[in-house]
Amino acid sequence: MCELPSRSSWNVRRDLGSLFLCLFVYLLAVGSIAAEDFYQEKIVTILEDVCYDCHGEGMKKGGFALDKLQARDAELKDVDHWFSVWKNLKTQIMPPADEAQPSEEDRQLILRWIERAVFRVDPENPDPGRVTTRRLNRREYQNTIFDLLGVKFETDEAFPPDDTGYGFDTIGDVLTLSPILMEKYLEAGQKIVEQFTQDFGSRIPTLFLAGERFLVSPDKSQNARWLPFAKEVKAVQSQPIMHPGRYRITVTMSTQGSPKTTANTARLNLLVGEKPIANQELGWKFNNNHQWVSEADLTVGEQTLALVLSPGNPPLENQEPLALNVSKVELYGPLDRSYLEYSEPYYRVFSDGPPKGEASEKEAYRRKILAGLASKAFRRPVDLPTLERLIQLAQTAETASNGNFEHGINHALCAILISPRFLFRAEIQAEPNNPAKVVEIDEFALASRLSYFLWSSLPDPELDRLAAQGKLRTNLRSQVDRMLADPRSERLVENFVGQWLQTRDVEGVNVNLYRLFGESGINYPQVRASMRKETEMLFAQILAENRPVLELLNADYTYLNEVLADYYGIPGVKGDQMRKVTLAADSPRRAGVLTHGSTLMVTSNPTRTSPVKRGLFILDNILGSPAPPAPPNVPVLPETEKQAGNLTMRDLMEQHRKDTLCASCHARMDPLGLALEQFTYGGTLRKTTNDKPIDTSGQLITGEKFANVTELSQILVTSRKEDFFRCLSEKMLTYAIGRGLEYYDTATVGKVVSGFKVEQPTLRALIYQIVESAPFQKRRGDGSSHVTTK
Amino acid sequence: MKHLIPRRHFLRGLGVSLGLPFLESLSPMQKLLAADASKLAVTKDGRPLRMAFLYVPNGVNEACWRPIGGGSNYQLNQSTASLMHFREHLQFLSGLAHANGKPGTDGGGDHARASATILTGVRPKKTAGSDIRLGISIDQLAAQHVGSQTRFASLELSCDSGRKSASCDAGYSCAYQYNLSWRSETLPVAPETNPRLVFERLFGSGKSSERQLSAHLRQVQQKSILDFAMEEAKMLRKEMGRNDQNKLDEYLTGVREIETRIQKAEQFGPLPDPGRGSPEGIPTSYQEHIRLMMDMQILAFQTDSTRISTFMLAHDGGNRSFNEIGVSDGHHNLSHHQQKAESLAKIAQIDQFYTSQFAYFLQRMRETQDGSSSLLDNSMVVYCSGLADGDKHSHDNLPVILAGRAGGELTPGRHLEVSPTPMTNLYMRMLQIMGVPAERFGDSTGVLGNV
Repeated sequence: MCELPSRSSWNVRRDLGSLFLCLFVYLLAVGSIAAEDFYQEKIVTILEDVCYDCHGEGMKKGGFALDKLQARDAELKDVDHWFSVWKNLKTQIMPPADEAQPSEEDRQLILRWIERAVFRVDPENPDPGRVTTRRLNRREYQNTIFDLLGVKFETDEAFPPDDTGYGFDTIGDVLTLSPILMEKYLEAGQKIVEQFTQDFGSRIPTLFLAGERFLVSPDKSQNARWLPFAKEVKAVQSQPIMHPGRYRITVTMSTQGSPKTTANTARLNLLVGEKPIANQELGWKFNNNHQWVSEADLTVGEQTLALVLSPGNPPLENQEPLALNVSKVELYGPLDRSYLEYSEPYYRVFSDGPPKGEASEKEAYRRKILAGLASKAFRRPVDLPTLERLIQLAQTAETASNGNFEHGINHALCAILISPRFLFRAEIQAEPNNPAKVVEIDEFALASRLSYFLWSSLPDPELDRLAAQGKLRTNLRSQVDRMLADPRSERLVENFVGQWLQTRDVEGVNVNLYRLFGESGINYPQVRASMRKETEMLFAQILAENRPVLELLNADYTYLNEVLADYYGIPGVKGDQMRKVTLAADSPRRAGVLTHGSTLMVTSNPTRTSPVKRGLFILDNILGSPAPPAPPNVPVLPETEKQAGNLTMRDLMEQHRKDTLCASCHARMDPLGLALEQFTYGGTLRKTTNDKPIDTSGQLITGEKFANVTELSQILVTSRKEDFFRCLSEKMLTYAIGRGLEYYDTATVGKVVSGFKVEQPTLRALIYQIVESAPFQKRRGDGSSHVTTK
Repeated sequence: MKHLIPRRHFLRGLGVSLGLPFLESLSPMQKLLAADASKLAVTKDGRPLRMAFLYVPNGVNEACWRPIGGGSNYQLNQSTASLMHFREHLQFLSGLAHANGKPGTDGGGDHARASATILTGVRPKKTAGSDIRLGISIDQLAAQHVGSQTRFASLELSCDSGRKSASCDAGYSCAYQYNLSWRSETLPVAPETNPRLVFERLFGSGKSSERQLSAHLRQVQQKSILDFAMEEAKMLRKEMGRNDQNKLDEYLTGVREIETRIQKAEQFGPLPDPGRGSPEGIPTSYQEHIRLMMDMQILAFQTDSTRISTFMLAHDGGNRSFNEIGVSDGHHNLSHHQQKAESLAKIAQIDQFYTSQFAYFLQRMRETQDGSSSLLDNSMVVYCSGLADGDKHSHDNLPVILAGRAGGELTPGRHLEVSPTPMTNLYMRMLQIMGVPAERFGDSTGVLGNV
């Protein structure tokens, strides 16, 4: 491949290029030159120089001829072809590395010309595109049910896996609904309502009294967590009782002080006020969380509960004395159900508590409950015909169950959970089939887009309230901040990072750690789980602390617990808690996600590293320039076969360069992957492979040279940071808007990238830009936009 | 584009030209009334006729897999030696191909195309998601015609309970790679991976005494909810654009199918007794998982709960290790053997593993009495891979075994070698035997008559 010009002259020429482009856009705008003239004069000249050798004047490699794409046609039907040209130029796949390259300003010029003359994008007013109605995926369904009803429902077991598109499971077009899934939704709705009734239906309340709060007088420093058998002692706690009646009293306790059996005994008396309730002989055999149950009548007001311990047999010689440890006392009652408790989730459905009063009151209450519930579940106010149908369902079921009000509501709740308005995030707009019609989505739809983006769940009451008042759009950023501060935003990390950096896969990826370490006593499942957390926590902290997004690639700290630190060979980390650990400036230094165990493992083969997969990972997910797939029937490399045993991975990869067919793509991915060769397929460090030192040096297709992964990371955060910003923006945008990016999105992506760079390159700023972008805020009618938009 | 009514939408999805009877098959009531049970999915002796597809990924080591010699004197090769006791029940078919699996102008992505084409014969639209399009699969087409004969129109099973994150094969949506069965050109049928859930779907949940009750109770409650769902979907549908309406049509189809099932439950009476308890869940051993799923298919056939099943043992391009047989490398890596002897030997080991699972299936099918013969005799079972050689990604001369006698319609016990022929020609013959009218299926050019 030819040498690129040196950087300084490059910049000067790039400035000239943009000047020229400005002029071109201006001239287009004032109409003094026609697009076609410009195409002929300037663009065709460049294309002739760098493309026509293979794709013009009779040549059509890969069945593709550029000179057939006349400007006039390009405006309409050849947009797909031009998009290919645009993508290949943008990612420098074309021209191939071993062919003459266009100058940087010419490359930019062609790109801009395609964007404006062919795609007709308006950088200031991008086409929002249109997302197909999204079905809740498994995670979203699970979260939505939990946030709506407090019921934990395991969707991974209940539903088949969701298909993914563009690397994510949030893509409307791919989230199909097969009949068997429909069947499962119906089953799920019924099970969830059963679960809700079982977990959160009315129940007898339990009061919990901690052992610590039973104090010994006069010495208040002693309490029921430690009552030696040796002397008489009384521990007392006073408890207000609101509802009189008979209670079940459960004392959870154990005898402690001697690991071996002992003859030491004592008698424990339970008193309410001065009245003895029950007594129990205690000895060594009570050494394991014994539950002592008795019953007593309690009256309204302060009640004093006392635990009185009286010495019994002393320990024999050489035996240890015992002590009593009371961990808690539970008061369960009144047992006659004269007062029942309703848990917090019960009120999520039955907002005013259990139904009371006359039939008409109940009818109004039924309407109120179902309107509230359906509006929450449908994420917008329920319309009247639907509400009437739900009321009808509840009434019928209530009658069928001999007037059980709650049963009626539960039945209607089942219907809500199977409704298409619940399972799909429908966004209704006027003229849905007019592609020229672009509308802002309404505030309820916006609330849903926000909450499913940041929480993978339905909007909370505050979002609902703002949407109802029409004030969400004007308070977007403060709401984003509030939502990111909420623990539910962990789901963004789990689901977005889980798929973008594939941390979801690290626990299950087929990598044979036993083969790498043998019977080492390492807790592999815990190592894998910690690796997932390591990467997720780095992202979460950079987001939470507004740290520069580039730290994802070069942070000199990471998050570890003892198991993972031991596995990595990093000393001084104790305990299971993941915490921030500053990394030593070793070489190679672990820094950023490329050196995380999660990344290194999900890009490996079961028993060896794969520089190709690692290189592809970086191209796909960091630089945003995926390589085309390998051609079939890769030719056999005779040298490989003969000497495979002695060759290093680099030697093997070197073979790719010998065949020009292989070289064009492998020159892009192999050096990136080889930079990580000092990490095993299990993500640990190594000094040699096949007893040879490891050469991690290489060069990017764009010319930058590096000696190791530390230098590679440095390049990624300096000269290639634009690529990373764009790549991350594209990934997060795809995740958020639920569709793949199209040619017309080049304008939106450009706007998002420049917006968050100007603001400050943090994840939060990126999220602001995304939620403010056209495809997040608007939608247009169905159909091809290109024909009709101007 | 002209607005299409929802049912028309399904017609577009057919990789097949059909007459009117298909439309009728969409109306459950009509279907129940109109079905001529004497012709559909029955053998000459009047026994239920079953159709099963078993799919193994990543091609095979052809040299060790292909039978030696043709006709009835064929010899089993090293990788298929475990099928020895079933020699007279098998037809090895050489020469069948899926031209639509080849790259054409679509470039890479042969694994996605292998699984996409195998039961459809249709070229998948190359897309990472915005507009997935394939064609109806052979099992689903047959199910739409003969499904009214049984409680369940078909079973779709797989052993892949997880999905890899990120993109699937070379620009294709994962939908192509994890689903063999397609209801229409846009609607894949996600397979069930948990044997317990398969069992509960077939025979009800809970203890065996409670099963009848719980299934019945649920159905009663379900009816009123389904009416509500139907009304809601119709109302919502009116306000939506075309693509969104397609989603609602998927929903409406689902609701109608559940209604059909409830009607069928009334028509077929009490649930059959499977004669065993429910499996606990997904076993850790891959072999046990496969065999449990096979058991479920056989139970379903035995109780005539369905006559059609599809089982993807693993998705194409999958990189599973086979530590139970001492192969710790990933299957997909190995399949790119580049003629290395060591890799080829390991692929042959994996092929042996898979054929011995198939042998288990055949064994169970043969030992299960069905009328005066066996389940195997009254079935046609296709065991196949969507690639021949995993390194070349070849879609010609696919490894295909057709097992069973279809009640006397098939002539097993031989190795049939044909000049390059679309795999779909075999499917045409199978449809004929099932009694399903079709003039064409996928890329078929005729009927492979002499199987």
